[in-house]
Amino acid sequence: MCNGYLPIQMKVEKILAENPDKTLKTFDLSFVNEKDRDEFSYMPGQFCEFSMLGKGESPFGIASSPTEKDILKFTVNRTGSVTKEIHYLQPGDIVGIRGPLGNWYPVEKFKGADVVIIGGGFAFTTLRSMLVYMLEHRSDYGMITVIYGARNPDLLIYKDELKEWDKRDDLFLHLTIDKSVEGWTKHCGFVPTITKEVAPDPNSWAVVCGPPIMIKFTLPVLKELGFADDKIYTSLERRMKCGIGKCGRCGIGSKYVCIDGPVFSFEELKNIPEAF
Amino acid sequence: MLKVKKDKINGLIGEFLKDYLVFAPVKDGSRSKFKKITDPAEISTGTVKSERSPKDVFFPQSEVLFEYDTNGVRISDNEEKPYLLWGVRNCDTKSIRMLDKVFGNAHQAPDKDMYKDPYWKKKYDTSVIFNFACTAPLSTCFCNWFGGGPFDETGSDVFVVETDGDLILKGVSEKGKALLEKLSVTIEAEKKDEELAETAKKKAEEMMSKPTDISNLFEKLSTVWNEPVWQKLAAKCVNCGACAFICPTCHCFDVSDEGKNGRGKRVRLWDSCMFPIFTMEASGHNPRGNSTQRVKQRVMHKFNYFMENYGSHLCTGCGRCIVVCPVNFDIREVIKGILDHKIKEKVQADV
Ligand SMILES: Cc1cc2nc3c(=O)[nH]c(=O)nc-3n(C[C@H](O)[C@H](O)[C@H](O)COP(=O)(O)OP(=O)(O)OC[C@H]3O[C@@H](n4cnc5c(N)ncnc54)[C@H](O)[C@@H]3O)c2cc1C
Ligand code: SF4
Ligand code: SF4
Ligand code: FES
Repeated sequence: MCNGYLPIQMKVEKILAENPDKTLKTFDLSFVNEKDRDEFSYMPGQFCEFSMLGKGESPFGIASSPTEKDILKFTVNRTGSVTKEIHYLQPGDIVGIRGPLGNWYPVEKFKGADVVIIGGGFAFTTLRSMLVYMLEHRSDYGMITVIYGARNPDLLIYKDELKEWDKRDDLFLHLTIDKSVEGWTKHCGFVPTITKEVAPDPNSWAVVCGPPIMIKFTLPVLKELGFADDKIYTSLERRMKCGIGKCGRCGIGSKYVCIDGPVFSFEELKNIPEAF
Repeated sequence: MLKVKKDKINGLIGEFLKDYLVFAPVKDGSRSKFKKITDPAEISTGTVKSERSPKDVFFPQSEVLFEYDTNGVRISDNEEKPYLLWGVRNCDTKSIRMLDKVFGNAHQAPDKDMYKDPYWKKKYDTSVIFNFACTAPLSTCFCNWFGGGPFDETGSDVFVVETDGDLILKGVSEKGKALLEKLSVTIEAEKKDEELAETAKKKAEEMMSKPTDISNLFEKLSTVWNEPVWQKLAAKCVNCGACAFICPTCHCFDVSDEGKNGRGKRVRLWDSCMFPIFTMEASGHNPRGNSTQRVKQRVMHKFNYFMENYGSHLCTGCGRCIVVCPVNFDIREVIKGILDHKIKEKVQADV
């Protein structure tokens, strides 16, 4: 019988510092065992428990897309004991992961329709996964709009890809920073404000991920534009341990973020007082 | 029904010890708890539940998930005999069945092995529970609120009544019936024994206080989230977590690595939603930062969320939390407080 608590072994292939302060790093991991690689099948929005033996585990959204074969990508913000340890990793090191865990963005349901992706800060991880996935299946989707903001240009992650996406004519990319700086030619202002300006069509599906404050102020904007609650999705974060619905830690109301989420529609969340 | 005479009980346990790991209430100072026994003389069943519940048998306070070193991880795969639990009271039998809903497979989770807890299942799936009737319930027992009672046999594999030191046995589950058929020390119970059991049942049930009607509790809890009643009910709780640790149905746990220099073990340890750090996040944000929120979580999980997910309350009325609480927080009073709470009609500001 398979044991959901056992991590599988992964090898660190590549590490990329996403910002000059190096508080955000992206790790490309490859599977040590072929069997694990063949059995690991996931969808955009799912997450893994990243295991640093001796330090513990932390959950991270999978930033790679299932269409990118053989590697898993995670972008980790250094904040506490486990993430600090992860930041010490070097290429070639072996780490553990458990997953894929949780549910995913309903990309099947989005087919044939327009999609607007709204992200803030380093929460762009699983949004990247979804975006890359949809671009790989480009003809399945209508118009794709991305609104992505951060405090300053340094804190936007996946900078090289943002440049590539910006060049595409089948994708509308709106980048924004809180306050104008030298050399910045894109939007200035908070994500909710820019969302209002861009005014996506309320018949699109919206996926919103970012700091709680951003979500809090973006929601009313979407509602004002006419988006129904069941057309807006988000991914929640809660402290986790088991990731498989046992340890009770990630509860919000009767839901467990680890198995009922992390992806929820606002239709589901509006009756859960603890959600925000 | 079958009967085992007083002088044959040790022989019966002896028979079990050959094929099973036998767990039974054992005195530990002035209190009793479930322990693995090797000699029938260790057993101390009493007339009512043990102070510590048998939860630890399947879900120990601290359990090694695996060991690790620089070569990777290792799980222990030592084969054990099946577990036989002797002298479990009905509240505890039910709590074990409830925990199996969580550990056996989580609600809504796909029917995949990764959602089935292998440590629980290894011990639980082959286990047999000998549920003893309670002949002297305590004042804190309120299993009858949940439809149970001192002589309830729901969930038992074998139901046992003690009469004058003899045991009357009844196979309840298929597993229990099959086991009874194999025993050599049993004799057929007589009419007289059944009458004795019936008298004991009446007596025990008379000792229980009248149950509170909780049929509205689930619905009521769904409507009181923002009500001030929570502050009042939670006021005296000191968030010590004793109630959760003693509770046979609480199952929250922490996972922690113990070791150094590249070798050690990953263990899970009981935890409680009563502790502030339970939900504290790396950013300093805490979704359940104050005591009232945490007490509310405990009550909501037991009497609302679990019902929604698994169809029963996550409480058996064993009353242990009432006994151990240092500030006399009484879960029965909380339930009554919720049921009695009147929601004020919203005053319409614009009228
Ligand atoms: C579904 C999900 C996806 C996530 N995706 C990402 C991501 O892509 N990139 C990223 O940088 N961060 C992500 N996070 C947050 C990340 O898990 C925490 O920042 C991280 O666990 C902090 O661990 P630490 O040991 O460094 O901090 P400490 O403060 O030392 O935390 C100790 C333990 O607390 C828990 N914990 C603390 N904060 C959080 C938190 N916010 N969420 C969950 N558990 C927490 C962990 O179990 C951790 O091991 C995600 C969280 C969730 C739930
Ligand atoms: S909440 Fe109290 S009465 Fe209910 S099962 Fe737990 S310890 Fe027993
Ligand atoms: S709560 Fe009921 S079943 Fe449990 S010990 Fe008391 S009388 Fe027995
Ligand atoms: S993380 Fe353990 S129940 Fe969700």
